[in-house]
Amino acid sequence: MAKEYPVKIEAHNFNFYYAAKQALFGINLSIPERRVTAFIGPSGCGKATFLRSMNRMNDLIDGTRSEGDMKIDGVDVYSKDVDVVTLRRRVGMVFQKSIPFPKSIYENITYGLTLNEKVAKADLDQVVESSLRKSALWDEVKDRLHHSAQGLSGGQQQRLCIARAVAINPEILLMDEPCSALDPISTGKVEELITELKDTYTIVLVTHNMQQAGRVSDYTGFFLMGSLIEFDRTRTLFTSPAKRETEDYITGRFG
Amino acid sequence: MHRSFEEDLDKLRTRLIRMGSLVEEQVEFALRALREGNQELARIVVDRDDKVDKLDLKIDKQCQRIFALNQPVASDLRLLLAAVKINNELERIGDQATNIASIVLTTPNAVQLANQIDLHRISQAVYTMLKSSLDAFINNDPGLAAHILPSDSNVDHLYDLLRQELIDAMKEDVALVSDGANLLLGLYDMERMADHATNIAENVIFLAEAKLVRHRAVNEEGIDLMKAIQERDSD
Repeated sequence: MAKEYPVKIEAHNFNFYYAAKQALFGINLSIPERRVTAFIGPSGCGKATFLRSMNRMNDLIDGTRSEGDMKIDGVDVYSKDVDVVTLRRRVGMVFQKSIPFPKSIYENITYGLTLNEKVAKADLDQVVESSLRKSALWDEVKDRLHHSAQGLSGGQQQRLCIARAVAINPEILLMDEPCSALDPISTGKVEELITELKDTYTIVLVTHNMQQAGRVSDYTGFFLMGSLIEFDRTRTLFTSPAKRETEDYITGRFG
Repeated sequence: MHRSFEEDLDKLRTRLIRMGSLVEEQVEFALRALREGNQELARIVVDRDDKVDKLDLKIDKQCQRIFALNQPVASDLRLLLAAVKINNELERIGDQATNIASIVLTTPNAVQLANQIDLHRISQAVYTMLKSSLDAFINNDPGLAAHILPSDSNVDHLYDLLRQELIDAMKEDVALVSDGANLLLGLYDMERMADHATNIAENVIFLAEAKLVRHRAVNEEGIDLMKAIQERDSD
């Protein structure tokens, strides 16, 4: 599994519970650095729970707990020494619905940076430009940086959220169905962006769109009822999956 | 899965099997026409080639449509890729059957020469290969397909042998050259039919095993898989 690249994230016998209900069962998985890894599977299969376990977003839900290891660069993110705020700076996240802050485009990007420290205006300007360039939005918004972000189209808003995540200079980007609310043209732009960003970031993507997983990811994991059924190179998983369940799911014969 | 997609794939399979049966009969008739000098049978083959061509177009369009509308993956993708290729092979075999039938119609004396050098040694081998490759497709039987592949070298050997016998016969009797030249083309068509049957068998293996076994001179994976199938089959 993913032997060709250094491992960035590693789960070992990872279980997850929402109160008494177990949502993930003994997940073992190595996610390669600076590649795109996609998780597919039917609703409720645990793929998004697993994604949110990587930056401990599930901690925000009462009664959740985990067992086993979830390591980033060899350090368990659930160990007592890990500061969650620092963790989430390293592991950025983009959600299904793009929700820009009700502020200007500029402030949306600088918000995270100025939370804990004072940053010089010139540095902020530089971060805003580079983040917007990385998210392929700069040319479209450079003349209206101080206008409200809510005036942007859905596709632009989602790219702004990616710029916002990129601005704090994370190592990993988690994306939870980032294109599910976008039209095909905006989806195409975000997918292109994902491919460009993988040179810099380790990207983990949850998607319901299997063609999208096929187009953008290098590795794909298939989840079913809280278990990781199969993990392989995307090209292998979509042409000759090893498991019957995977074949049934990707060819739409599931259930 | 959309039921219509499943139905589309079923229809495609059914139509491809119909194409296979039609072409198999074309070959059977053409070879029999040559053996018996049966002009009527040869005429049927030539006339029916339009039907083969129409079916070829239909299957091709059907595959295009399924590709465009369903973005197939895994075994569905392999079925479609194999269908496009097998259809193509069958259409070519149909053309070759027509070529052989045309020889019977245009140079009736070639029939006598064909019997004289017993050209039917190769025709039986070719027909068996074609029939088996179609059976392997219909029954989704990679084991049978793997058994067909070695027969191709037998056909190649018979081709070389018969070609030489034909040339020798023409050398001995110059009056035979006109018929003999036509028969050489017919003999070549038979040899090509076996190649196409081989390709069909290789596609049946691809369909079932998700591996390409063609070009085994440069494809070690193909050799390994062939061995594995043959061993599995002998258990």
